[in-house]
Amino acid sequence: MTLTAAERARYQRHLSLREIGAAGQEKLKAARVLIVGAGGLGSPAALYLAAAGCGTLGLVDFDRVDVSNLQRQVLFDTAGLEQPKAEAGRARLAALNPEIRVIAHALELKAANVRAVLADYDLVIDGSDRLSTRYLVNDACVLLGRPLISAAIHRFEGQLMTYVPGRGPCYRCLFPQAADGVVANCAEAGVLGVLPGVLGTLEATEAIKLITGVGTPLIGRLLTYDALELRFQEFRVERRRDCAVCGDAPTITEPRDPPRPAAQAPADGVRRLTARALEALLSPPQQAPPLIDVREPWEFDTSHLAGALNIPLGQLPQRLAEIPRGGAPVFICRSGGRSMRACQLALAAGVASPANLEGGMLGWAAEVDPTIPVA
Amino acid sequence: MSCTVRIASPLHSYTAGASRVAGRGATLAEVLGDLERRFPGIRFRMIDEQDRIRPHMRLFINTEEARDLSAPVRGGDTVHVICALSGG
Repeated sequence: MTLTAAERARYQRHLSLREIGAAGQEKLKAARVLIVGAGGLGSPAALYLAAAGCGTLGLVDFDRVDVSNLQRQVLFDTAGLEQPKAEAGRARLAALNPEIRVIAHALELKAANVRAVLADYDLVIDGSDRLSTRYLVNDACVLLGRPLISAAIHRFEGQLMTYVPGRGPCYRCLFPQAADGVVANCAEAGVLGVLPGVLGTLEATEAIKLITGVGTPLIGRLLTYDALELRFQEFRVERRRDCAVCGDAPTITEPRDPPRPAAQAPADGVRRLTARALEALLSPPQQAPPLIDVREPWEFDTSHLAGALNIPLGQLPQRLAEIPRGGAPVFICRSGGRSMRACQLALAAGVASPANLEGGMLGWAAEVDPTIPVA
Repeated sequence: MSCTVRIASPLHSYTAGASRVAGRGATLAEVLGDLERRFPGIRFRMIDEQDRIRPHMRLFINTEEARDLSAPVRGGDTVHVICALSGG
């Protein structure tokens, strides 16, 4: 793919690099990169790849721009609040570099569509905020033979690794299995705004290296970053012969959706309460059931139901003794997922008749008290 | 045998926010037992009831992965506790 005069002018600093030059820039122009998740990681990755002249960029995100995104998601601005992220991101990237093609995929990746979406791309960058999406994308990349650059963040820490099928381990080799809810996401745990800037930029760096064939990619090496200590570390990771998707006898041969979230899954012995039903149980207060709020302390501090006891989900296995016995406790979180896991933990520990507030505090705000702020 | 243990961010609630703590033991099992005595509950977040490392956790001794608890730990080693992160 030959460069036009306008492109030669735009990319002259790349053309001056012996390692990239016109040949590397032409490879970038021909490259088709899919960015999964236009969030904290996807924002800098998309901006730098667009600026670098990556010829086709796809942006997958089904969310809309929220004001709380702007602390770190530099692809968006205040004027774009409430717009679909994929479309707002496409417009921003097109304004940054009209020489490239940007495709907005305002959809949720699922087993049913992941093959079709990935089919038009040569390389995938994962910046999603769900473990289930991370596994779906990894499995699809292994099955389709697409390189995957994957990063993840939490509070002040980040991880990065590059997976190239046939050349090293995959994401499942690193973490064979994890369910959403096991690890708090950014909304629950908080995140330093600049942290995804570092990791997302590293993802773009790896993409440019793979596309142009320069340098040594981060294959089989897990890079971790601790912003508080400003420390990078590297760990060697081997391919697992027993990996479910890239191992010698794979059991995953098609992309698959995760099991339904615990909040929707049938759970014997767990009662379900709507916000209205809980409201009815809270009056009179003397007969109200114990309320256990399993959100993180900062979420609890923003608002909680009167009399609720705060036991973050991560501490629940050690603090089960604090749950009052005999009162059929009601577990509460932001939207009902963590509290369902708490119900199952409590049930397994012998707590009688735990109940889950379906829809969590968001449901309470929607159905009962719209004035209550929910973090 | 004393070593340093670096704790993954999602487990900092057990270590009063500390990302790095001292550990003691000649094997990974002993080091984790020592941690459990001082930070009750932390071991169960990494190791299941069958003494297997949980599939969303990885333990490294210096830069090499430890796949079971019998892995030897030498004085001055650093044990890294790494957890799958979901944030993006």
